[in-house]
Amino acid sequence: MFHQFSATAESLSKASSLVLRIGTDAHLYDDPDDVSIGPLLESRFDSEKVDALKRLLALLAQGSDVSQFFPQVVKNVASQSLELKKLVYLYLLHYAEKRQNEALLSINCFQKDLSDTNPLVRAWALRTMAGIRLHAVAPLVLRAITKCARDPSAYVRKCAAYALPKLYDLHHDEDNSSFEELVDILLNDHSPGVVGAAAAAFKSVCPSSLFLIAKSFRRLCEILPDVEEWGQIVLIEILLRYIIARHGIVKESIMFSLSTMSTTPVADGFPTFSGTSGSCQTLVGTTCDVNMITLMCKSYIDGQIECFAQTGCSNSSDDKLDLSLTSSTNDDVVMLLRCTSPLLWSHNSAVVLAAAGVHWIMAPRENIERIIKPLLFILRSCQASKYVILCNLLVFAKAVPPFFSQYYEDFFVCSYDTYQIRALKLEILSIIATESSIPIILQEFQDYVKDPDRRFVADTVAAIGLCAQRLPMVASACLEGLLAITFYESSLSSSSQIDGEAGVLVQAIMSIKAIIKQNPDSYDRVIVQLACNLDRIKIPAARALVIWIIGEYSVIGQIIPKVVPSILNYLAWSFTSEEPDTKLQILNTAAKVLLCAQGADSLAFRKILSYFIELAKYDINYDVRDRAHFIFKFMPHSLMTSSEKDNNSDISQNGRMHHEPGGKILNGKMHSSISSTKSSRIYLPGSLSQIVLHAASGYEPLPKPCSLLNTDLTAGVVNETNDSDISSGSSIEESGSVYDSDHSSISSDDGNESSWLDEEPGVSSIQTSQQASSGRISINNLNLLVEIFFENCSSEPIKNIALKDGESSSSVESSDQVLGESESLLRTANVPPVLSTEEIASLDPGQRVKKLIEIRFPHHLLPLKLVVTCNGKKFSTKLWPDIGYFLKPLSMNTSAFIDHERQLPGMFEYSKRCTFKDHIEKIAPVKDDSSIHSDKIILLSQILTSKVLSNCNVSLVCADIPVSFNIDDASGLCLRFSGELLSNSKPCLISILVEGKFSEPFVLTVKINCEETVFGLNLLNRVAAFLQ
Amino acid sequence: MLQCIFFLSDAGEVMLEKQMTGHHVDRSICSWFWDYVLSQGGDPSMILPVIASPTHYLFQVFRDGIVFLACTQVEMPPLMGIEFLCRVADVLTDYLGGLNEDVIKDNFVIVYELLDEMMDNGVPLTTEPNILREMLAPPNIVSKMLSVVTGKNSNVSTKLPDATASSIPWRKINTKHSSNEVYVNLVEEMDAIFNRDGILVKCEIYGEVQVNSHLPGLPDLTLSFSNPSILNDVRFHPCVRFRPWEADQILSFVPPDGEFRLMSYRVKKLKSTPIYVKPQLTSNAGHSRISVLVGIHNDPGKTIDSITVQFQLPLCVSSANFTPNHGTVNILADKTCRWSIGQVPKGKSPCLSGNLVLEADLEKLHVFPVFRVGFRIMGVASSGLQIHRLDVKNTPSEPYKGFRALTQSGEYEVRS
Repeated sequence: MFHQFSATAESLSKASSLVLRIGTDAHLYDDPDDVSIGPLLESRFDSEKVDALKRLLALLAQGSDVSQFFPQVVKNVASQSLELKKLVYLYLLHYAEKRQNEALLSINCFQKDLSDTNPLVRAWALRTMAGIRLHAVAPLVLRAITKCARDPSAYVRKCAAYALPKLYDLHHDEDNSSFEELVDILLNDHSPGVVGAAAAAFKSVCPSSLFLIAKSFRRLCEILPDVEEWGQIVLIEILLRYIIARHGIVKESIMFSLSTMSTTPVADGFPTFSGTSGSCQTLVGTTCDVNMITLMCKSYIDGQIECFAQTGCSNSSDDKLDLSLTSSTNDDVVMLLRCTSPLLWSHNSAVVLAAAGVHWIMAPRENIERIIKPLLFILRSCQASKYVILCNLLVFAKAVPPFFSQYYEDFFVCSYDTYQIRALKLEILSIIATESSIPIILQEFQDYVKDPDRRFVADTVAAIGLCAQRLPMVASACLEGLLAITFYESSLSSSSQIDGEAGVLVQAIMSIKAIIKQNPDSYDRVIVQLACNLDRIKIPAARALVIWIIGEYSVIGQIIPKVVPSILNYLAWSFTSEEPDTKLQILNTAAKVLLCAQGADSLAFRKILSYFIELAKYDINYDVRDRAHFIFKFMPHSLMTSSEKDNNSDISQNGRMHHEPGGKILNGKMHSSISSTKSSRIYLPGSLSQIVLHAASGYEPLPKPCSLLNTDLTAGVVNETNDSDISSGSSIEESGSVYDSDHSSISSDDGNESSWLDEEPGVSSIQTSQQASSGRISINNLNLLVEIFFENCSSEPIKNIALKDGESSSSVESSDQVLGESESLLRTANVPPVLSTEEIASLDPGQRVKKLIEIRFPHHLLPLKLVVTCNGKKFSTKLWPDIGYFLKPLSMNTSAFIDHERQLPGMFEYSKRCTFKDHIEKIAPVKDDSSIHSDKIILLSQILTSKVLSNCNVSLVCADIPVSFNIDDASGLCLRFSGELLSNSKPCLISILVEGKFSEPFVLTVKINCEETVFGLNLLNRVAAFLQ
Repeated sequence: MLQCIFFLSDAGEVMLEKQMTGHHVDRSICSWFWDYVLSQGGDPSMILPVIASPTHYLFQVFRDGIVFLACTQVEMPPLMGIEFLCRVADVLTDYLGGLNEDVIKDNFVIVYELLDEMMDNGVPLTTEPNILREMLAPPNIVSKMLSVVTGKNSNVSTKLPDATASSIPWRKINTKHSSNEVYVNLVEEMDAIFNRDGILVKCEIYGEVQVNSHLPGLPDLTLSFSNPSILNDVRFHPCVRFRPWEADQILSFVPPDGEFRLMSYRVKKLKSTPIYVKPQLTSNAGHSRISVLVGIHNDPGKTIDSITVQFQLPLCVSSANFTPNHGTVNILADKTCRWSIGQVPKGKSPCLSGNLVLEADLEKLHVFPVFRVGFRIMGVASSGLQIHRLDVKNTPSEPYKGFRALTQSGEYEVRS
């Protein structure tokens, strides 16, 4: 139709975009509030209401707060128009939590909709009702889910499964059985869609209740290919965990075969235990990184390595295989592997990776190779997933390089890859290179060296170095290439400073250094070549490296000792114009050369070194001066001779260098500290933690092998418990201030706790697996001794004073005043918070009695309800825990502290600023006394430390005191404290950084590193509060 | 589970936020994210897809100028998050006929409704395009006009699609069509790398079997290839039954209605490419010349069109001039040169030559650009994959069947 317009392309596109905009909601997004929304919502016409809601949605999309319309919107929830309903629901879900009271108005409508004949209406009502997060309606939601879980429509049942985690997130108590029961119903649904949703619910509601899986394992496996793709991902993971917990590790799998290699003597890099050695031998040339795999197994599995250690020992006796092992012929294992293998063809790459993960862990060694090709194929899906897949492939490749060695072509870098993808590909290539593929890979690397991205080129150069170290056969060829790059780069960087060129040059010399280190004797020519071209290398870091190489290998071979004197002469000539880094290295090298020198040369070297030291002593840089003094002091014998020439011959005879401390320091062997640190963290394949390289919250390693006991499996979920006793606890009137609780004395212990639990006969009646109960211990394992003073302030004596746990006494009350021992039997699941209760017979007026009670706080945030009975009356009160007492001191030194701090980055690090004024009045009186001036900072540290130590049970690690010319300035003072959590003994680090002057309030930055995020944040608030 | 999804424009503006769970994520995470993007060079397509921010883990996918950003605080498979975002992008492209900032803003209501259907409580709910289409009608010209005229438009379906209850969730139960036809389309992308010596390092085909089916009832299709053994890797649409493929390499399936990707495959280690591109860079003493020669290598028998050559000049080049003997050259602000050739003319091979002026103190080039080549060949499947036959069962009458093929360039690059 546009042909008539004879328009230019531009106006045509304008016109067409105009046409496209007609009838859309464009005007609503552009000016959402050009008319007043309130009246529109009150309109009689649905279309106007829809218009108003669209405007609200637009405002919401743009980030404005439109919650003031909430009451008007809620009224429309009863509308019959589905479009209006949908929009209202969208709005409701966004604001309901903010406007709890008004949101309650909508509940009746949801209730009505839940019995609508249209399944879509039922599903929406359920989704919204569960999503609005009102504590008050949680029981109603549970009832609604229970009803919908048996709905005739599969879609509604699916929504019921999705609603379960929402409710669980909103409200859950110790007793999980009603949730478990619902999950069980939904998992046994005949529709695959519902099963997928139920798997997701299982994972967030009761991930450790693996006994639910037991009875329907085979059916779940069979239904797996029909489940929706997203459900598959979750279900695969659950099934894998179940297999590990039920049957243990497959003994033919890569995890087991290689972990035993580390414990038993190994020949030729093959596992030597008799049972499976045949199958392993068939993989000729399969060499694996044993350390890597041991580390991998350790990280994958919860129960650490001790189970492997046992099996390693029991290997010799074949018939007595350990319990935590199963064979690949186990029916369940075969079933799982069979049902997951078609998923390797899924078009969803997340499913492919999840299925591959199962095979990686469970499949017999010789069958693992089938996962490699599908994994490489999904690399071609999209850029974002490419990165994630490569991160996982890197771990696989590190563990068993031969699996990938023939697919090196897939890791060739192309120009569409981002820098991170390129770096990963290079790392994988350098790991999987074999003698047959290395020529092609090196050819490819040569192309990369000319790439415009110089950061990538530097990585390539490093990869060449790694290849040469792994395959000594190509080392000399690599060295040639690296030397060429070095000379080429050094000629370039002389002409101009281009970004990244320096990095390439330095990396090239680093790679050369690493190759030389492996076999210094055969590369003396390379060293000479480098040394002779020293004048062409201009980058200080690169020069320093070359000089280090010369110093390190000054006595190797025939040629080097001959050129060393002239190099030193050259350096002596250029010393003053060098950068500090290079100067330091020159000093070291000169000293090292002197220590190694023999005979006639030593005199010349001694002269040069003392010349260097003379120059360096007056250098402008204090590091250089410092190094000069250091060398001078540590090598007195070698240098003394320059002034006292007559002793010369004496000392040279003595072979003196071993007597000097300097010789030990300078000739000590270097330990490479860089390579080992980075890759030490491994998490399950396909997990988020593997990508970010720290355990994300909610990350769980695989369960301990065979931790799921047979007894757990036979029992179903039968315990219907009433949670009425918990809610009735709140009915007692609160009347505090009957006594004052003073919890200043702390004595914590966790030893007797677990033993107590073991003795408890009631625990065994609950059908939970072993992990669940141990988890409960760890939460509750917070025992405190509290000193309580009872003082009678009234004029009459008080009789029969007793202190009880608030919750238990209410349950006692409900069961008609049954006292004492029966109390603990009634409450089988919960551990009583107050462990010892003694009665005080009577208390006279003014009398004061001290009692010690042992208390267990349920949680560091929740108060403990206590009931004091006296004269037959009850007074309830609450004991609030102070978060500082949930720690215990953990002594460590500064470096350990910094190490720990580094291990807890990102999510686990929180900081807060606050002001601090206490010092002003405390330090002010001593201000005029000049002799104490210098101690002000120590005084401040003392104040801060005593404040922290009196409020938190931690230990002081160190205090960094700043060096400053300004006496009034305390900026830079840093105090570090460390403690560990009582509940799970994870470290918790506190550091306080001071900024500001003594005359003014300080600004303190409190930083906490702690793996328990909730605890850490609460502690942070507490610390900031008491410092203020 | 994903807590929240944000759509950001390529300038960092937050266009839309959709909270997925009760734990709301504050918008300030977007400004943190954008600061991070700027600190990494400002190009959202070049940053990591998984980022650990101080408060949340972020997944991001960049598509057509829009950043799809999702947040979570707990462990979840990162690929699941990324795949979901890609799926959202696919569905939106399909619904809105393209993706860009304006289209998202103009149709924000439908985007909200879609997101709400696609995810519940941070877990994907319905992502099957066919079901979504039934639940929410995509905007089309008729509905738009209707809304202009009558002021009313409801794209929300009042009825739950039957397919949600069936065991084949990708297909409506009672599809009625006036047409009775099925088209099978082989779309192949050729990935190739030529090294700096002009030698073919790697050449492979990444192909898709796209099916467009308009068949009534519940048809059962069987597709077989004459030479399935050349396929190195395969991936299937959920409708494909695994057993027949495992046994006889036959694709047996009940198709969804409309267009879908039945299968993806890869054919590796191809020996030749249809065209050649020979770049030559000479550089010494401050004078640099570039010349690129393009020609047809092994004539595929069909015309090769839409030939383009694209490369980025190194940073050290301060200016350049090019003269092509065929086609046009555009140089963009970021020093990207794009030479559009179209078809190779008869009797003449296209050639581009030009001079480069380097930065003042440089004598010669030390880095060399990579040339990306684009082309398209209609009617040819370069992998050589051939469809043997397509059988349709369970239809009232024999449908019309059509076959097509297309080869285009994928990651096709020539290093110089």
